[in-house]
Amino acid sequence: MSRHTILLVEDNADDAELTQTALARTRVDATLDIVTGGEDALDYLFGDGRPLPALVLLDLNLRGMSGLDVLHRIRARGATRRLPVVILTTSDNASDIAAGYDLGVNSYVRKPADLDSFTEVMRRLGLYWLHTNTPPPAAG
Amino acid sequence: MTDTILRLMGPRAAPARRGIGVRLLAFIVLFSSFVTLVLTAIELYIDFRVDVNAIEERLNEIERGYLDSLGSSLWNVDLPQIRLQLDGILRLPDMRAAEVRETVPGIAAPVVVSAGAPSPYAALVRERAIKVSVRGGERTIGVFRVEASLEGVYQRLLNKTAIILVSQGVKTFIVSLFILFIVHRLVTRVLVDIAARLDSYELQGQAAPLRIPVPPGHHADELGRVVMALNGLFDGLHSANRQLVDINAELERDIAARLRAEQEVVRLNAGLEQRVRQRTAELEAANGELDSFVYSVSHDLRAPVRRIEGFTRLLGEDPDSALSDKGRHYLTRIRAGAGEMGEMIESFLKLSRSTRADLTVSTVDLSALAAQAVALLREREPDRAVTAEIQPGLTARGDPRLLDVVVGNLIGNAWKYSRNVAEAVIAFGAQESGGRTVYVVRDNGAGFAAELADRLFVPFVRLHRPEEFEGSGIGLATVRRILARHGGRIWAESDTGRGAAFFFTLWEPRGTDEPPHDPAGRG
Repeated sequence: MSRHTILLVEDNADDAELTQTALARTRVDATLDIVTGGEDALDYLFGDGRPLPALVLLDLNLRGMSGLDVLHRIRARGATRRLPVVILTTSDNASDIAAGYDLGVNSYVRKPADLDSFTEVMRRLGLYWLHTNTPPPAAG
Repeated sequence: MTDTILRLMGPRAAPARRGIGVRLLAFIVLFSSFVTLVLTAIELYIDFRVDVNAIEERLNEIERGYLDSLGSSLWNVDLPQIRLQLDGILRLPDMRAAEVRETVPGIAAPVVVSAGAPSPYAALVRERAIKVSVRGGERTIGVFRVEASLEGVYQRLLNKTAIILVSQGVKTFIVSLFILFIVHRLVTRVLVDIAARLDSYELQGQAAPLRIPVPPGHHADELGRVVMALNGLFDGLHSANRQLVDINAELERDIAARLRAEQEVVRLNAGLEQRVRQRTAELEAANGELDSFVYSVSHDLRAPVRRIEGFTRLLGEDPDSALSDKGRHYLTRIRAGAGEMGEMIESFLKLSRSTRADLTVSTVDLSALAAQAVALLREREPDRAVTAEIQPGLTARGDPRLLDVVVGNLIGNAWKYSRNVAEAVIAFGAQESGGRTVYVVRDNGAGFAAELADRLFVPFVRLHRPEEFEGSGIGLATVRRILARHGGRIWAESDTGRGAAFFFTLWEPRGTDEPPHDPAGRG
């Protein structure tokens, strides 16, 4: 069992698998929990008993509830208000980027097209958020 | 009397303060007085001469009549006779004094008989020796002296002068008045009449020209001619004025017609502009929809292409996949196709963004953008030796991100197409031409056929085979679109194998929709 858990919100199974693979290639010591929709993500985060993940990787283009809606809910709750959330998406739409930061995302990362670059991105994300960054104190 | 004279002197008291009559009167009086004086002087002089001559003649007669008898009286010393004779002389007109004086030498008390009172003032004096014939010879025994006064002459002349001056003065005055009257009757009255008619005539709106009737009795004289000449002038004036009025009316009609035409043009233009605006709006809407469509399609295509890239990569690396050599070749081709597709999608997005994004104008350091682009390319292909000559300090107003796309694209092209040259040189600079700044990116690479220069900027037109130089074919189209949004143009010069030069401008005077030197900017 890893020390860290990362929650990936991604509705496309292929993309989730690629992300999983990329993370595996980094040898970052983390477990990736995957949910495929916004509602599932909120259930995961607000459900009873389960500890919060160290990092949430949030896709924007979700079926049903959008990534930005999920982010809004996360920031609205006291328990998850300070939870590190990184948007990980193929979109570089300026309005998406602005909206993301307006809603309090910690970082906005575009998925590179090729796997090597993506692996490097995942490595840096893991290193930064799981090791370099000091996480927020657990909220009561 | 005074009224009459005043009336005679000038046509009207107010308009002619110094009427012809007054001046005429003054001149006549002056000249007449002068002539009178001169003539009087001449006449007086002649009278004076005549009077003096008469006195002289009288003196001569006295001499002839009295000298001999006085001589015998003096010889006989008959004093009473002498006195009688002298008295007789004094009774003649103008004689004032007479004297007989004995001048025989050796006499103690010579006889002196005198009559009258000699005067110290100017007078005619005649002295003659009194001679007697004694024994056949003549002998002077005394002096006879007669003095004639000119007072009488002067008195007569004075009287005459007074009479002449008074009579001439009266005559001159009467004649002058008469002349004045005649002038008034013949000339002034007619002139005043003409002046009054001229004063009261209004040129505008008259059906007939002004006509002054020739005064009765003046048909043949100068006034008649003046009046006829004036009438001729009025005819000419009238017809000229009529023409002027006609021309004015015509001009007004022309102007009205022109105004109507202009209004029509304005109305048509307004309609046309309205239609153009409407069409433009429709076109812009359609373009916008198309752009949005292209943008969202491109955007959505990213994810599947990325998956193809990712999984084919994994397939190639998977030791358990047991791909044959052929299968491995196919996999390579799939990956190349996916890569090309990904590049095209990115280009699409850039092109789309260059049209859709709002311009955020600030001052952009183009030299820095060029240096940055070169640095990026060096990092990507460290093995290539390329000399970059970048003119420092080139700045421009524009959207920094879009201008980065422009410079990056042109530098990238120069880099790409100089790949097969041993000593590649890329240059970025600017020059002033025709009052604007022309930026230029040059290389010494493959170049292109000069006749194809215009096609470069059409999307998806590629001048080289993909095997020679990779590319999406929409980079330059994107550059042109960005420059158009910055009010600029781009054009290229080249020849195959002789390198290429891409020139571009920003904010050219016509058709710009952004201020080129707005210090506030919109950033």
